[in-house]
Amino acid sequence: MNYLLYLLRSLLQRLLRGLDLPLLLALLAIMAIGLATQYSAGNESLRGVLMQGAYFAVGLGALWLAAQLPAHLLKQLTPAVFVVSLLPMVLVLFIGSGKYGNHWINLGFFNYQPSEMAKLTLPMMLAWHFDQRPLPPRFSSLLGGLAIIALPVGLTLLQRDLGTAVLILAAGVFVLFLAGTSWWWWALASSLAGGLFALAKFAPMAWFGFLRPYQQDRILTFRSPENDPMGAGWNILQSQIAIGGGGLTGKGWGQGTQSHLNYLPEHTTDFAFSVLAEDFGWVGVALVLALYLFVVARCLWLAAESRDGYARLLAGTVGLSLFVYVLVNGGMISGLLPVVGVPMPLLSYGGTSAVTLLLGFGVVMAVQARRPLRR
Amino acid sequence: MLRRARPIKNHAAELQQFRRRALIGFLAALAGLLALAGWYFQLQVLRHDEFATRSEANRLRLVPVAPARGLIYDRKGRILADNVAAWRLEAVPERAGDGAALLARLQGVVTLDAEQQASFLKAYRAARPFKPVTLKLRVEDDEAARFAVNRWRFPGVELAPYLGRVYPYGALFAHVVGYVGRIDEQDLAAMGDAGSAFTHIGKTGLERYYERLLRGKPGYRRLETNVNGRTVRALDTVPAVPGIDLRLSIDAELQRAMVEAFGELEGSALAIDPRSGEILAMVSLPSFDPNLFVNGISHAEFKALNDNPSRPQFNRVVLGGVAPGSTIKPLTALAGLDSGVRKPGDKVLSTGVFRLPGMRGRGWLDGVHGWTDARKSIYESVNTYYYQLALDMGVQRYDAYMEKYGFGQKTGIDLAGEIAGIVPSPAAKRKYAGQRWYSGDLVNASIGQGLWKVTPLQLVRGVAAIADDGRMRRPHLAIAQRPGFNAGWVQLPQPAAVPISDHPQHVRVIQEGMQMTTTGSGTAARVFRGASYRSAGKTGTAQVVNRSATAVDPRSLPLWKRHRGLYIGYAPAEAPVIAVAVAVEGGGFGSDTAAPIARKVFDAWLLGARAPAAGAAPAAAAGDTAQVAPAAAPAPATGARP
Repeated sequence: MNYLLYLLRSLLQRLLRGLDLPLLLALLAIMAIGLATQYSAGNESLRGVLMQGAYFAVGLGALWLAAQLPAHLLKQLTPAVFVVSLLPMVLVLFIGSGKYGNHWINLGFFNYQPSEMAKLTLPMMLAWHFDQRPLPPRFSSLLGGLAIIALPVGLTLLQRDLGTAVLILAAGVFVLFLAGTSWWWWALASSLAGGLFALAKFAPMAWFGFLRPYQQDRILTFRSPENDPMGAGWNILQSQIAIGGGGLTGKGWGQGTQSHLNYLPEHTTDFAFSVLAEDFGWVGVALVLALYLFVVARCLWLAAESRDGYARLLAGTVGLSLFVYVLVNGGMISGLLPVVGVPMPLLSYGGTSAVTLLLGFGVVMAVQARRPLRR
Repeated sequence: MLRRARPIKNHAAELQQFRRRALIGFLAALAGLLALAGWYFQLQVLRHDEFATRSEANRLRLVPVAPARGLIYDRKGRILADNVAAWRLEAVPERAGDGAALLARLQGVVTLDAEQQASFLKAYRAARPFKPVTLKLRVEDDEAARFAVNRWRFPGVELAPYLGRVYPYGALFAHVVGYVGRIDEQDLAAMGDAGSAFTHIGKTGLERYYERLLRGKPGYRRLETNVNGRTVRALDTVPAVPGIDLRLSIDAELQRAMVEAFGELEGSALAIDPRSGEILAMVSLPSFDPNLFVNGISHAEFKALNDNPSRPQFNRVVLGGVAPGSTIKPLTALAGLDSGVRKPGDKVLSTGVFRLPGMRGRGWLDGVHGWTDARKSIYESVNTYYYQLALDMGVQRYDAYMEKYGFGQKTGIDLAGEIAGIVPSPAAKRKYAGQRWYSGDLVNASIGQGLWKVTPLQLVRGVAAIADDGRMRRPHLAIAQRPGFNAGWVQLPQPAAVPISDHPQHVRVIQEGMQMTTTGSGTAARVFRGASYRSAGKTGTAQVVNRSATAVDPRSLPLWKRHRGLYIGYAPAEAPVIAVAVAVEGGGFGSDTAAPIARKVFDAWLLGARAPAAGAAPAAAAGDTAQVAPAAAPAPATGARP
């Protein structure tokens, strides 16, 4: 009996070796809420829940595998991983499919979205890049970093996937930020961005031509959703009604009328958080946001504890990226930000996103400092 | 891979720097997520009411449920106005699309004539997009079947079940029950919100007078609808409250007998129970089929009705005011006795001619009746007696008595649109003829000619008052109401009888005079010869055409513009249970045309098996009821009245 317990315990220990338990538990909690939301959003059908559960299982497997990798090996492999992750992004331009552009590669059982992977491989590459050089980065290494960022962001823009491009860019910017890039550079970059924005504002046609009509719609709609209640603004309006109708404590699990009567668009994917907000109210929203904040904080904490520059930059960026995903999705479905197709991490239905995210947290765990030394 | 020399890194400084940046990053994330939580708080808690309302408005739709209209029965429980299950075809504009295209596609499936198409298109254009517009009321069975098969071709077009109104007796009760018709804009405005549940409203007759009772209260179904407007489920139902059923004092058999008594003649007649004011039969001829109006009468049919010179739609009973002619004499005589101007035995010499004091020329010509008292003045219809009587009373006193007898006032019958009529007076003559009053006008008025305007209803109320020893009652049609099929009948309250005379012996004299009309040398003796009961009555002729003033041959005029034969009476004379007033248009002398009709009505009521003796009435009525509506139509409490 004791022996059996001992076996179980050692098996569990072996299984959990290299994993950061607080981070893992927080992620599991979010995933559980995600499955519950999917169950409600899918009109109590188990199919979507099982599919998403399968994705989570794959993602957790990836997380576990990544966490077992020796940090130095990961670091050495980084440039190769980066290049390999860029190849499908080129390929997708020719053989891709998707609703609004060539975002996906159809693998038969699964639509693989290559740009998702860049959200992880770009910060890896950047961390590797800056780890080689003294920090804060000088101008030359900064230029190198910008070049590395430009590659995946440019490829994603070629796929006309503005949302993902912005998120990849954000990940790159976080590495630059955590690497200690001088405030002067930030000031310069901000004024440059401000100038571009002003230019866009005063010469709308110039940048408009670059965007796809649906993207133009989204931005115009965001500026005044009430103008077009039956068209593109309809989505935001119905989502706001779903969120606002949820109230403090929500209508109850599976009781949300906006999602169940199909007033809420895309309620399993982009607008899954609206379903949660309608079912569980502000209390549910606050709880989930707190969990996300905990994950962000835990990643930053693990990063700050690390003695390795590469690990620090990577773990910190994974954490801050998660924050950006949450902010952009949460803001977009509630009318605070323009609609860009950004899923809510681990809540929205989607395989690539879930697996990539979990893989990222696996990498964070792999490079953490306190993991037991091997050999 | 080529190894370059590693640049020197200050690890401790880099760690410090990273930790500072990480802290800033954390604070930024904290601030960002707090801001997001704050924004959601704004939406979910502060603006919750606004969004909750919009959420409910999104999903809920109220669908009115029309109540069943109350049924109308005759006094024996025969159904005069019934509801039948019917289908109507409706189109919802926002889903059915263009109206003209829809009509084109419906060809061969549902037959719609040009008129129906035009009225549909008009309503369709004006309708709100989500509100169904009726394409066709009362869709035939084969059409409904054909449509059901082709239904997929017509999104937004639906067969809606409803209860349609049917009048099983057709024209027989057109002027009593009236009819319901499609609701028009005016009706809708009057009905307010409740209107959306109804398609029909009472337009004439009892259907209009008792509209509020008959209509019932609409219920509502709350439906949950999805984004496509499709019903997901019914949440709850507030059931409709069916309309109140009405029981009339009318007897369908007597009504039929009365119509048959008219034969080919036109005019109007009423039979009333003098003991209660209950109207037993009421006809206005020619009549029309009220069923035509229920589902929208066609232009051709409507034109035919409207162009008919006999005016079938005109309810002569409450609208047809004519001079009462000699039928006014019994009440004029009563006025003479009650005012003290005459005593029952006072005699006036009838010489065949009457001149006003100081008047020269021909004067009023009349038959020679010799010495005439009150009784004889009635049964021989002696004009001279009344000429002198009216002059002796004076116009003011005379008019006061006539108004006391209900002339110039509405009877208060439960039918819409009753007229008050006119009692001749200096003021009335100024108003209607624009001329001043002469004593000769009073002479004319005393025998019911001249400016008089009296409805058959007022006449029958007057004669019923004489029959019931001077008690005048409100004539009425509805005697009981029932709030549901399983509920009991509740008597409708009636106002108390008003005495028209303080001298029973005077009324007695009038009754005797009227009884003698049907016997001996009475004006209607010939008509009532051989009757097994004794009746009382008075003949009359209303001069409609002014013989001297018009060059038109009276025979070219429609009947209603010619002289009217009148008869009022009651029977049995000893204990009256029925009083009648008959007006036959173009009928010449009352004794020739109107009195025979009255006799046939008396015969039908008194000699037909259904005559309700005062005490036996409830039992007889209950027996009949059991045959007509076995389960749940208890007899009205007819025995409760005095």
